[in-house]
Amino acid sequence: MTIDIDRAEQIGFSPAPPPPRGRLSPAVGRILGAVSDARGLKRLAVVLATYIACMALFALVVALQHASPWGVYDTLFRSALVNDGALAEVLTRAVPISLAALAVCIPARAGMVNVGGEGQLIVGAVAACGVGVALGGKFPGPLGWVLMGLAGMAFGGAWAVVPALLRIKLAANEAVTTLLMNFVANDLMLYLIYQPWKDPTGGGQPESRPLVGNMVLPNLGNSLTLSMLIALAVAVGVWALLQRTGWGFALRVVGGNQDAARRVGLPVQGLLVSSMLAGGALAGLGGMLNLAGSQLQLVPGGTATYGYIGFLAAFLGRNQPVKVVLAALVFSAIFIGNSGLELNYGLDGSVVDVLLALLVAAPLWLSRGRKEAF
Amino acid sequence: MNGVEQALSGGIESGTAILFPAIGELIGERAGVVNLGTEGCMLAGALAAYATGAVTGSAWLGVLAGIAAGAACGAAHAVMVVVRGANQLASGLVLWFLAVGLTAVLGTSYVSQAVNPLPTMKISFLGSIPWVGPVLFDHDPLVYIGFGLVPLTWWVLYRTRAGLVLRATGERPEVVAVSGRRPQLFQIFAVTVGAGLAGVGGAQLSVGYTDSWFDDMTNGYGFIAVAVVLFAAWRPLFVPAGAYLFGVALASASVLQAHGVAVNQYLLDALPYLVTIIALVVVARRSGANAPEGIMRALSYAT
Repeated sequence: MTIDIDRAEQIGFSPAPPPPRGRLSPAVGRILGAVSDARGLKRLAVVLATYIACMALFALVVALQHASPWGVYDTLFRSALVNDGALAEVLTRAVPISLAALAVCIPARAGMVNVGGEGQLIVGAVAACGVGVALGGKFPGPLGWVLMGLAGMAFGGAWAVVPALLRIKLAANEAVTTLLMNFVANDLMLYLIYQPWKDPTGGGQPESRPLVGNMVLPNLGNSLTLSMLIALAVAVGVWALLQRTGWGFALRVVGGNQDAARRVGLPVQGLLVSSMLAGGALAGLGGMLNLAGSQLQLVPGGTATYGYIGFLAAFLGRNQPVKVVLAALVFSAIFIGNSGLELNYGLDGSVVDVLLALLVAAPLWLSRGRKEAF
Repeated sequence: MNGVEQALSGGIESGTAILFPAIGELIGERAGVVNLGTEGCMLAGALAAYATGAVTGSAWLGVLAGIAAGAACGAAHAVMVVVRGANQLASGLVLWFLAVGLTAVLGTSYVSQAVNPLPTMKISFLGSIPWVGPVLFDHDPLVYIGFGLVPLTWWVLYRTRAGLVLRATGERPEVVAVSGRRPQLFQIFAVTVGAGLAGVGGAQLSVGYTDSWFDDMTNGYGFIAVAVVLFAAWRPLFVPAGAYLFGVALASASVLQAHGVAVNQYLLDALPYLVTIIALVVVARRSGANAPEGIMRALSYAT
């Protein structure tokens, strides 16, 4: 009997030798096992070649704009890793991106597609701004942060629950409705900052009143801020929620096979809605942290497509919290380079989108031969 | 023209910019492939049309360029999804991101350039009918092509063998394969044609309706087009309802402003998206059963 290796790998059976036990972690062992035979090496080479090809495509685009590709990559590298304050910038931006990415992960476990991270970030920031400005700078800090966070989570969750309900009650596809809600959220924010919430001291610029005094999340020294710690804690919490609680397990069952979940007696509709609620709440919290930790004011484009970048990071990280946060960090690092590219090479502000898209196109291209959809 | 006529007339013109991508997306979805990158294809088409129009002086060459640009983007998505087996939603969004970035970068030099827009052609007899005439028959030719596109699409989908195979591809590609045809080819063809139509929609937006180009000018209209296909329950004859409804909502915003009605601009901007969500909700329940099977699988991919 011949063994069809491709089919065997598809169903998860690996003919490779078992990973070495002992001091090496299973992941490292698996990597070593994968690379140690010829097929694994070939696969690795293909993966590397794809990423290099994508980076070369970006270099081509940049060259067409009369900018040196080496210089561009050098600027990106420096902005992310070398320059003063680079690390702080990267981590600061990684906060909303990673929370938006986690906001995609939780509903994805249950099989729901949440593309509304952007809108949920925005309404979370709006809610936090409303609470923070109303409370004022003299209100006790920690209590104020909690209130802002709760407001952000509530509004973000609500923004996600609406499409969720539309999906379960009326079979309206949530990928499309969450997308449309993003635009509504953006218009809502623009309305608020151009009219009722406009900052009278802002010199005519469209922005809301800034958060002041105790409402601002503090720096903890050494380029670490409270919002980063909170985001990290939340990421760990999401991992624990998904991997170590009954709810997380139930979500996975629903995501795997809704009919089976229903027959086993799981409250499928409630789980679907609660997964979107949790996702939206996470993104709302991310919006609040972004506002209170770094932006301090609502401005047009304040969330700068972080929601969509979070979606791409979630895709890259295969919806697993640890990998997703790592992907978010990488994307944040690339994103930082944007202003440098604008300043040094006169490239348009959206040029980084091209690089990000190409970097996600690489694993999409490599989808062939994988059983799962991502 | 009074305000209502203005809104309706503008609605037809801007609705055409939604109609083309919506019909295109319908063709692709009938073959079983969702293209969330329709927005990107529209952007590519808009820029290509504007740039070509600025360089050559002919808006019609621009429209052709728009078709080509949109089709190229669609072909990329089709190859990713059909040949490489990528997740349809992720691939579409990546295409959108790519298009936003590329058009912003490549289009910077065209923002301030002027272009000869598509000429407005009034159909002599029909255009003089007192009320209906100016609303329906006094626009650029793409609008009239749009009028004809819908019944043509219906006819091809439901009255030709190719259309039958296309619909079958969206339902059960395995059946098509067993019958001796290649479903992949039909899917790639459908998505490419659909994206080319999206490019026309973008061209209509840049050289037909607004005579301008700026970053991200399609502002989510491509996603609206995807929603319109759901709203129309995958039936070509219902697509114009959604497309023109959205167009009217869009045009009403500027008409209301021009007439000094004191509603904030951004609330009016949000109106079209809200209208679409409501329409989706109203229609979605009974249309769920109408979905091509392949689409239900594609749209529920998450992990």
